[in-house]
Amino acid sequence: MSVIECNGLTKVYGGTKALNNLSFKIEENKITGLIGRNGAGKTTLLKIIAGLLKETAGELKVFSEKPFNSLQVSANVIFLHDQMNLPTALNLKELLETAASFYPNWDRELADRLFDYFSLNPLQYYNGLSKGMKSTFNMILGLSARVPLTMLDEPTTGMDAAVRKDFYRALLKEYIAYPRTIIISSHHLNEIEDLLEDILLVNEGKEILHMPVADLKEWAIGIQGKTTVINEWTQNTEVIYTKSIGIDQSYVVVRNHFSETERQRARNAGIDITPVTSSDLCVYLTSKTKGGIDDVFNKG
Amino acid sequence: MSLTKVSLIEVVKKQYVYKLKAYSQVFISLIFLQLLAVLFSMNGVGSMGSTVGSVEVQASYFSSDFVAAFTMLWGFITAILITTKAYRNDDFVFVANRVSSNLSNAVFLLTTSVVGGITAMLSSYLFKVIIYYFFKSTPILDAPIELLLGIFSTILYVFLFCALGYLVGTLVQISKVFTVLLPAAFFGALILEGLSGKAGTVASVFEFFFTESSLVLFIVKIIVAAGLLFSGAFVLSNRLEVRG
Repeated sequence: MSVIECNGLTKVYGGTKALNNLSFKIEENKITGLIGRNGAGKTTLLKIIAGLLKETAGELKVFSEKPFNSLQVSANVIFLHDQMNLPTALNLKELLETAASFYPNWDRELADRLFDYFSLNPLQYYNGLSKGMKSTFNMILGLSARVPLTMLDEPTTGMDAAVRKDFYRALLKEYIAYPRTIIISSHHLNEIEDLLEDILLVNEGKEILHMPVADLKEWAIGIQGKTTVINEWTQNTEVIYTKSIGIDQSYVVVRNHFSETERQRARNAGIDITPVTSSDLCVYLTSKTKGGIDDVFNKG
Repeated sequence: MSLTKVSLIEVVKKQYVYKLKAYSQVFISLIFLQLLAVLFSMNGVGSMGSTVGSVEVQASYFSSDFVAAFTMLWGFITAILITTKAYRNDDFVFVANRVSSNLSNAVFLLTTSVVGGITAMLSSYLFKVIIYYFFKSTPILDAPIELLLGIFSTILYVFLFCALGYLVGTLVQISKVFTVLLPAAFFGALILEGLSGKAGTVASVFEFFFTESSLVLFIVKIIVAAGLLFSGAFVLSNRLEVRG
């Protein structure tokens, strides 16, 4: 069963298209990483899925219902982000109690244990928390609510390395014990890569890739060698990224269409073939120019 | 993980309980506002005196009218306050849609009206205590049935102002133009009527609600008017987006 079905989704904010004809499906009980550059439309997409914003055009079904103004969707979705407004009059303990009253699957014990582990003060107020502690508290809400669709937008904002590690571990343990559909948007793809099953890469409101992480690792390769040789090799393939190294060497990322014999021939011609990490690949795929920031400085 | 089914009534109930806790500041502002009104009323709203021979009679009227008026103003402001973005966003952190959010707001405002109405009318007892101790005179007590009637009608008036505030707040959320337009229209009409010297729209609206002598008719008027104001706000806000 698809949890989210999205067809030609478009959202216009005062003239600019935050989402531009986006179509994808997300299957049940998968952890999907929503990856994209700043302003790619990740948060807008999540807000529309949560029913907070209304789409301008296109069709979106969450649990086979339109999310905007749907109580069923709201009850089965939790969306946490780093700019959340939580009621200022309630302290952390009261916030947890309120959340418990809204979500029938709420695990009080888990919430209390996480709360103690991260040594949060129950009498403190959310607005008084530091960035990292806000994110930690959001994580406690998100995991303890045990809702079928959990969406975490930049969940690790402000967290230190130790808490980030704990968070990934807690998320995985919770997911294994109580499988659910999880969408995580993050900049740290290399950190969450091992958690994810699928990756949805968006750029400028459009879907670039949607595939299992394992496939993404094989999707492209990096080749490095003499520029003249490399140019010859990449004539008929889709070039994703190029970088010149020194005077006559270049590094090019291309789609992985090469057969084993071709690879062998490439090695014989003095070309190094290396795998490309998913994180680098996502950066290359979403950059506006083929040469990256270097192009800005290369005036000639 | 299996889906949870929820009903509208259930969610409205949960949101109402949540709002009683989360919006508790409004009750603190009520206490301060009513105390301020009591202080202002300490001069007495009217007095008369006469002297017959060597006997001088001085009569002062104290009433909780001022407190009631302040409470209505408070209801109006509270209603505007809970339509603002910060409060609306609070709703959508947990389970909500626009209908449940509006309905729970209406029930919450009804609760505040009841609290405001009762405390406003009970302030007359505070007057009596203050008069007894500070003015060294014994106040005349009124009949309990009058007090009950007073409480009931004050609740309805406060609720009417809440409904008005809720619509005004919703309009402002839709477009900031209304922050200028609505006060301009109200005060403009007031000034124009004052200049022309005839009773116009504002005066007749006030007359319609504040001079009704039949209790039943009064109740019907208020309920219908509040109902219309709230439904207007519900319809208008049903497409409003939130940040969550």
